[in-house]
Amino acid sequence: MSRRDGRAGPDVLHRAGEASALILISLADGPKHGYALIQDIKELAGVELGPGTLYGALDRLERLGLIEPLPAEDRRHPYRITAPGAAALRVHLDSLERVSAAGRLRLRLGGI
Amino acid sequence: MDDHRATRLVETVLRCYPARWRRRHGEEAAELAALLIRDGTPAGSVAWSYLAGAARERFTPRPGRRLSTVACALLIAACSLGVSAGLLASTAPATASTSQARGHAHCRPGPAEPAPGVSTAVSRPQVIIWEAGHGRSC
Repeated sequence: MSRRDGRAGPDVLHRAGEASALILISLADGPKHGYALIQDIKELAGVELGPGTLYGALDRLERLGLIEPLPAEDRRHPYRITAPGAAALRVHLDSLERVSAAGRLRLRLGGI
Repeated sequence: MDDHRATRLVETVLRCYPARWRRRHGEEAAELAALLIRDGTPAGSVAWSYLAGAARERFTPRPGRRLSTVACALLIAACSLGVSAGLLASTAPATASTSQARGHAHCRPGPAEPAPGVSTAVSRPQVIIWEAGHGRSC
């Protein structure tokens, strides 16, 4: 999706919350189930997602079509990122990079 | 907290989720809780996370869910609170009157005790009049 200002589509993850973005980042390198997601996000970002938060975010991402469940392995349901999910993650990371760059620039200009 | 109690606590909290959610995630959620507790996460923390998740699941409006469902759930919760408050309020004066009656022996209903040296030929029934919250016998 392209817009007049040349940027990609709206950042749907902006309102979905940090947990959703972290889950998508974790799923970007392959499917994972709940426990693996929690462990990966803990290593990746130092954030320990509670299981209630995890399932809430998984349901939200699935409703948005950004992830999809794979056939259950034993009692565990692995999830994988979809093509729209990967696109949404790129948009979100680009947005974060712009904000980050602007913040660093302002810090330099401010001499801090 | 031992494993058995932790498991029971998590199972109890998982029952707070809607049935649809439990059918979908219930078994996996219980297994995930067991793994997290085994890794050293406090059972209370896991249970609290699921409890907050259950509240969000029940009270967050969804595009596919009619708003009336959420409104009804909130209404039921409000009514429950109202009924509880009403019951508490209605029992408070009764409790107060009971304690007052205990405090003043002369306010007790029933036959009046005869004063020493006075014989009561006819026993009158006592009437209690409420005046500004104070029961007085006459």
